[in-house]
Amino acid sequence: MARYDRAITVFSPDGHLFQVEYALEAVRKGNAAVGVRGTDTIVLGVEKKSTAKLQDARTVRKILKLDEHVSLAFAGLTADARVLVNRARIECQSHRLTVEDPVTVEYITRFIAGLQQKYTQSGGVRPFGISTLIVGFDPYTGVPALYQTDPSGTFSAWKANATGRNSNSVREFLEKNYTETSGAETVKLAVRALLEVVESGGKNIEIAVMTKNEGLRLLDEAEVEEIVAGIEAEKAAVEAAKKGPPRDQ
Amino acid sequence: MEPMACQWTDAPHSMGTTIMAVEYNGGVILGADSRTTTGVYVANRASDKITELTDNVYLCRSGSAADSQVVSDYVRYFLNQHTILLGRLATVKTASTLVKELSYQNKSFLETGLIVAGWDKYEGGSVYGIPLGGTLLRLPFATGGSGSSYLYGFLDQAWKSNMTQEEAEALVVKSISLAIARDGASGGVVRTVTINEEGVQRKFYAGDKLPLFHEEIAPRPTPIHAN
Repeated sequence: MARYDRAITVFSPDGHLFQVEYALEAVRKGNAAVGVRGTDTIVLGVEKKSTAKLQDARTVRKILKLDEHVSLAFAGLTADARVLVNRARIECQSHRLTVEDPVTVEYITRFIAGLQQKYTQSGGVRPFGISTLIVGFDPYTGVPALYQTDPSGTFSAWKANATGRNSNSVREFLEKNYTETSGAETVKLAVRALLEVVESGGKNIEIAVMTKNEGLRLLDEAEVEEIVAGIEAEKAAVEAAKKGPPRDQ
Repeated sequence: MEPMACQWTDAPHSMGTTIMAVEYNGGVILGADSRTTTGVYVANRASDKITELTDNVYLCRSGSAADSQVVSDYVRYFLNQHTILLGRLATVKTASTLVKELSYQNKSFLETGLIVAGWDKYEGGSVYGIPLGGTLLRLPFATGGSGSSYLYGFLDQAWKSNMTQEEAEALVVKSISLAIARDGASGGVVRTVTINEEGVQRKFYAGDKLPLFHEEIAPRPTPIHAN
């Protein structure tokens, strides 16, 4: 079994970890995901690949609950995400059992990032091909938080972020348009950001809203359509105003 | 001469408790006394022996306090994961089966008799008894603890199926009161938990509010002698 001890992730002569960089490539190919932190609401949005006619859409979930007060969205290899999420879910309950307290968002992010890092420094394994957006409320202070992890195992907190396909464009949009929002305004910002890179329509995006009291709620297609329609109408109004009133002949 | 034996150091650990759960038309009612003893010493006269497993399933604990607490902690640990993965409330049957697994697989280490009861949308209210050895049995009503010995004859006569919530609640309070009257290891207050489709409701019956039975004297004011 000596052959399986060899590390797959090794340094290149110029100090790169190519396996980690290739994993980031896999993330870049994955469907877009966006997260926006408001004062009392956190929104996760993902690009939804059009589901095959015979497929049950409910089983293709890219926004997952880790515990009652913490959720996760990801971009990249779905199977890798499933494995990582299972480990995180067990850790959430294990934490409750041993210290009699729910995890903080930072704790579980640190745990997931730690796991991702472990797989860059172990023999015979490859890194996880996902970047995650982890959101939740502190169980005691109620402060909302948004964190991102990536295949290298780094993590940091964000006010708003995106990952996956075209994440740079989405992040640029967020940098230009981010303000402190709450409630429906936060949802609108997330949807607008996602619409920058996703085909318009409720069929192509999935939105989940998290509040301190109600936890995670997946918006159904009709609700998303309504928000998208609202945004489109606003855009059209702005366009019309730019063109100016019709000139008299 | 042999030193005097102290009950609270030498007494075998007895199942000091009365617990019960009853299925009624629409849900379940769990009831328990509140006395925790070490021999004859009452360690806690207001303990809560009815513990939450999930939003819709609760557990009555008897026997070793430590063993029953640890079992309920582990069942909560597994049930929480199960609920998050499943995406909906766990069933009473699932919760009971998990309790049974822990009780049976660890039977040589544990000394705890448990009653699981709750409400789910498939079976409505259900009660499961899990006595010492780790058997799992669904029952219309279940009793446990040292005080339950005094309730068998009473419930044979008084229990009937398809009671209303009020009838069932009255039966539970009366039963626990009767057991408290005769069992030294049961006492304190009566706590009940009602679980149905609407949710969970906790009730508290203070010791002096419980009914009195045969040969029990009602409290009366002491005469003040003027002199």
